[in-house]
Amino acid sequence: MPREIITLQVGQCGNQIGMEFWKQLCLEHGISKDGILEDFATQGGDRKDVFFYQADDQHYIPRALLIDLEPRVINGIQNSDYRNLYNHENIFISDHGGGAGNIWASGYHQGKNVEEDIMDMIDREADGSDSLEGFVLCHSIAGGTGSGMGSYLLETLNDRYSKKLVQTYSVFPNQMETSDVVVQPYNSLLTLKRLTLNADCVVVLDNTALNRIAVERLHLSNPTFAQTNSLVSTVMSASTTTLRYPGYMNNDLVGLLASLIPTPRCHFLMTGYTPLTVERQANVIRKTTVLDVMRRLLQAKNIMVSSYARTKDASQAKYISILNIIQGEVDPTQVHESLQRIRERKLVNFIEWGPASIQVALSRKSPYVQTAHRVSGLMLASHTSIRHLFSKCLSQYEKLRKKQAFLDNYRKFPMFADNDLSEFDESRDIIESLVDEYKACESPDYIKWGMEDPNNMMTGEGNAAGSLDPNSVV
Amino acid sequence: MEEEEDQQKLPDLVKELVHRLLSQSLPPNPNSPEFQNSLRYALRILSSRLTPSVAPDAAAIADSIKRSLATQGRSSEALSFADLYSKFASKAQSVNNKWAVIYLLKIISQDRRVTTNTTTTNHFHSPPLLPNLAFSDPSKPWSNGALLLSKDPENRRDIALREFLDLVKEENEVSEEVLVRDVLYASQGVNGKYVKFDSEINRFVLLDSVRVPRSTRSMVDRLCELGSLFKKVSGYISHSMDRFPAEDVGTVGQAFCSALQDELSEYYKLLAVLEAQSSNPIPLVLESVSSGNYLSLRRLAVWLAEPMVKMRLMADLVDKCRVLRGGAMAGAIHLHAQHGDPMVHEFMKWLLQRVCSSLFEMVRRWVLEGELEDIFNEFFIVGQPVKAESLWREGYRLHDAMLPSFISPSLAQRILRTGKSINFLRVCCEDRGWADAANKAAIDTGAEARRGGFGYGETDTLESLVDEAAKRIDKHLLDVIFKRYKFKEHCLAIKRYLLLGQGDFVQYLMDIVGPELSEPANTISSFKLSGLLETAIRASNAQYDDPDILDRLRVKMMPHESGDRGWDVFSLEYDARVPLDTVFTESVMARYLRIFNFLWKLRRVEHALTGAWKTMKPNCITSSSFTRLQHAVKMQLVSTLRRCQVLWVEINHFISNLQYYIMFEVLEISWSNFLSEMDVAKDLDDLLAAHDKYLNSIVEKSLLGELSQSLYKSLFVIFDLILRFRSRADRLYEGIHELQARITESSLSSRDQNKSRKQTNDKSADQGSWIAEGRKALTQRAGEFLRNMEQDLDSIAKEYSSLQEEFISQLPVQQHVDLKFLFFRLDYNEFYGRLCPSI
Repeated sequence: MPREIITLQVGQCGNQIGMEFWKQLCLEHGISKDGILEDFATQGGDRKDVFFYQADDQHYIPRALLIDLEPRVINGIQNSDYRNLYNHENIFISDHGGGAGNIWASGYHQGKNVEEDIMDMIDREADGSDSLEGFVLCHSIAGGTGSGMGSYLLETLNDRYSKKLVQTYSVFPNQMETSDVVVQPYNSLLTLKRLTLNADCVVVLDNTALNRIAVERLHLSNPTFAQTNSLVSTVMSASTTTLRYPGYMNNDLVGLLASLIPTPRCHFLMTGYTPLTVERQANVIRKTTVLDVMRRLLQAKNIMVSSYARTKDASQAKYISILNIIQGEVDPTQVHESLQRIRERKLVNFIEWGPASIQVALSRKSPYVQTAHRVSGLMLASHTSIRHLFSKCLSQYEKLRKKQAFLDNYRKFPMFADNDLSEFDESRDIIESLVDEYKACESPDYIKWGMEDPNNMMTGEGNAAGSLDPNSVV
Repeated sequence: MEEEEDQQKLPDLVKELVHRLLSQSLPPNPNSPEFQNSLRYALRILSSRLTPSVAPDAAAIADSIKRSLATQGRSSEALSFADLYSKFASKAQSVNNKWAVIYLLKIISQDRRVTTNTTTTNHFHSPPLLPNLAFSDPSKPWSNGALLLSKDPENRRDIALREFLDLVKEENEVSEEVLVRDVLYASQGVNGKYVKFDSEINRFVLLDSVRVPRSTRSMVDRLCELGSLFKKVSGYISHSMDRFPAEDVGTVGQAFCSALQDELSEYYKLLAVLEAQSSNPIPLVLESVSSGNYLSLRRLAVWLAEPMVKMRLMADLVDKCRVLRGGAMAGAIHLHAQHGDPMVHEFMKWLLQRVCSSLFEMVRRWVLEGELEDIFNEFFIVGQPVKAESLWREGYRLHDAMLPSFISPSLAQRILRTGKSINFLRVCCEDRGWADAANKAAIDTGAEARRGGFGYGETDTLESLVDEAAKRIDKHLLDVIFKRYKFKEHCLAIKRYLLLGQGDFVQYLMDIVGPELSEPANTISSFKLSGLLETAIRASNAQYDDPDILDRLRVKMMPHESGDRGWDVFSLEYDARVPLDTVFTESVMARYLRIFNFLWKLRRVEHALTGAWKTMKPNCITSSSFTRLQHAVKMQLVSTLRRCQVLWVEINHFISNLQYYIMFEVLEISWSNFLSEMDVAKDLDDLLAAHDKYLNSIVEKSLLGELSQSLYKSLFVIFDLILRFRSRADRLYEGIHELQARITESSLSSRDQNKSRKQTNDKSADQGSWIAEGRKALTQRAGEFLRNMEQDLDSIAKEYSSLQEEFISQLPVQQHVDLKFLFFRLDYNEFYGRLCPSI
């Protein structure tokens, strides 16, 4: 009864980061590109069956669905060394192969049309698991397939598997460069609504921050997608280590997420990782202490979400929860001392309306992967500053919407037919209320927040300015 | 006629003899006055009744000749003399007065020697061959004491002596010879004629009726002490020997007796000689005897001085040891060994070597072979028959009373442990390898070469033997424990299963036995639970564990009372088996069980909390359904949900930090300390101590100790409250889902209504009011439900925060164990500090 997790990789971006994720998992579990367990991978202690199932004694197959509306990326995978890794029945490419044209509505609508096919695949996978824990969706929120079809899948999963967890790894577009996808703000907004309402946990992978990290930390002048994707796969695999290497605590996804997400709506997590390296730099073995790792994880430069906050706002930002997953040979006695130091130096600003602490999970490192660092750490945190990312999305949307630009692309689809743009408004309101809730979390009076105007609280209908009593926010 | 002839012959012979003697120095002239003088002197001597003072014993004289020859360094001549004498004694039948012949020869040879030494000029008038006859030299009339004139009424000295003797006899009713004999009797513990044993004062005394001078009496008394001492010693010996083989004598006692017996036989020899001498008459004070082989009281005192010291010592020892046995006896004897007198010291050393030999042999066998050969219970180690699992802890112990003082307690401990290790290996581990280790140790210290041959006074050898044997055997034992019996692996397995370290396994177990355990305890079949345990093992990574380890993991149902649920009685146990059950004894396992119960309960609460989270997880409340709700109800919903969430946050924070605390500050730290102590452990005792420390630290730190009972109790109250919260939260969300479903239903129907209204447009008012009324009722019921739930949650929250406050406020005052860590974790963001500054 492994707590199985089924991965859905949707769209170009989703399949790319998904592919990187599986590469990393295969390396860590000693599984070859064909899914065959390597001879050396006998040391055990790891759980392969959370993410893989065994076709026969030696053959491991990812519990993954590869879904796209255009064949390019998936064909690429099928022509790569890893073509035999996946179950071919789990690959879905739409018949016409025309993609979603970067239009959310197109992806959503096509998703609806192929719902039956895809749900058949999901059901089959779910039936093949003993105690399915949930789904992981990899996608981008900016394009057409990952955002639109991903959104549709989220709603469907929420409907059909309401008891199961739905976690997403959502790639947010790079705001620093002009995107070729002009309707990106629309797509983002509409997807964000589903992420808010239909997902249990969203790990925000901000391409802006990933690029920054690649440039600043890894000294790559012009980082490629492959390079930023390897960062993503590192984060994804690290965030699942406690599931794959069982220990005293945090052995399932619920346990992992429950403490991270104390308030259901604020389920957007940002990540930090240290030490960040690319392969060519990995030649010096450095000694790293737990304190070093934990301190670095709190530094903004290692965090994979850009903060668009102004200084004043940034000082108000608070951690709702933190989980540090530390991998490698660590002396557990160091943990307490590190926590103490961090508190003494006031490196963390926690919410004031409830108890909170840094949780530390120690996990083993894969014996099959040689890294330059004996200790590495991943931080998963719920931090109120993430609201600025959503605000940014909102403001970009507002700009575009004000101009009534590109809306025709959406009106072609049933949801927006008859010039019914209420979906946009509703999404905007929900995001706005999400931003407000994050903001409210910065105040000690969060508990009483929203009581003044429940309309806004629950649905975001009406009051655009948010219901927050200005006096209650310090 | 023949006699007459003899009478006639004699003067002629004398004349001839004198003539011969004188002719050596002077020309023989039978008519010279010198010749006439000498002849007359010779006749006078011959006519007097002279007797030599020596005993007429030919053998004695021959002996003295032989001895004098030997002392002059002429041992070969002494030998040839002895040869000649024996021929003379056996063959010369015709010679009647052999001793006289030999005596004469001796005198003559002595005279000749004197002649060669002295100048003849001084003695021209006396014949050199008869110097003793020369009465003309009165300066040394009795020189050499060769001849004594007695019965010579003319001798005035003789007369004086006679008078003195009479005086002495007047004073002494009993002669000294008799007293000496009596003393000798007394020395053998026998009553004499005048010296008798007085049982009242427990010693020999000279009878009061006997009239002797006070000095003699006190001398006799002093000498008689030996008698009483002897009586005591020999009495002890015979008493002990009589009791043998009764168990209270023992080999040490036997050795002691035999040593005493040996010493007594030496003493008997002395007595025999003295007895022989005592038969010689005591010469009177001024009488001089060359041999001196007689015994006076004074001489006796000298003879008996040394035996007296020894006897006194032995008597003392006998007194001290009378009630002692074995090691205690050896120890008591040892206390007397430190003595300045070298004679005593030597004697004690000899005695102790004899006494301790059996003891040391026991030590040797125990240390090298693990054999406890101690039928008389004399050894300072006692064994008792126990079950294999308690062999190490209870099988053998030191018997302090039997521990001789020359073996230090620490050495005794090492001796005990070494033999114990061997027995443990033999009995519990069924191991033979220890013999090699013991042999090597023996060879290294040379104890093997002298099998059974080291004893008292070689404590260093003993110590090095014990050390060497202990080192090797302990190392071997640890090797066996670690390698063959996989001690570390089992400890790890216990940590993983009983202390819930194997998270995935625990989770599945919780998942599958959970429903079962909610049933009343008496309806649960442990057979079924065992099956579920098996399933959990197969489903988790535990399946890759050593089958031997998994085989030892069992379900254990604790005794239950009526009303108990399965949760209260379920636990896991680990069957350590021989020999590891020495470490994991029943009481140790009982403590593991307590820890398991605590951790299991904590896990259950955590499980309940994540379960609650799952029901209220982010995507569960699709809020859009509530848009049509009345404002007040919506407010109520928001407030109730928030109440529930915030309470969940607080509780979850508490439980998860308690978990982190247990993991990092309790389990992992104790474990890593245990591991490092395991690495340096030198023997099984170290290992046991390390494990005890490990277990203790877990028990103490997990609040299971004696001193934290109130904390523990309040913790369990909190746990129960949390379980109650879970069921409340479940009900709340159930209710909300139901509400959601109703609303969706009604909104669908109202939408249908709308559509139909558009089409038909009649009866709309009726229908609308009907719907409105339905919604109103729904709203009312929803509001009521939510209000009730919020009240429930409020009261739980209140109860919880007071309980938690109580718990937290107790933490800083826990002196016995460092719970600061827990407090630190719980109040990491100083939430409680702010809430209640007093904490």
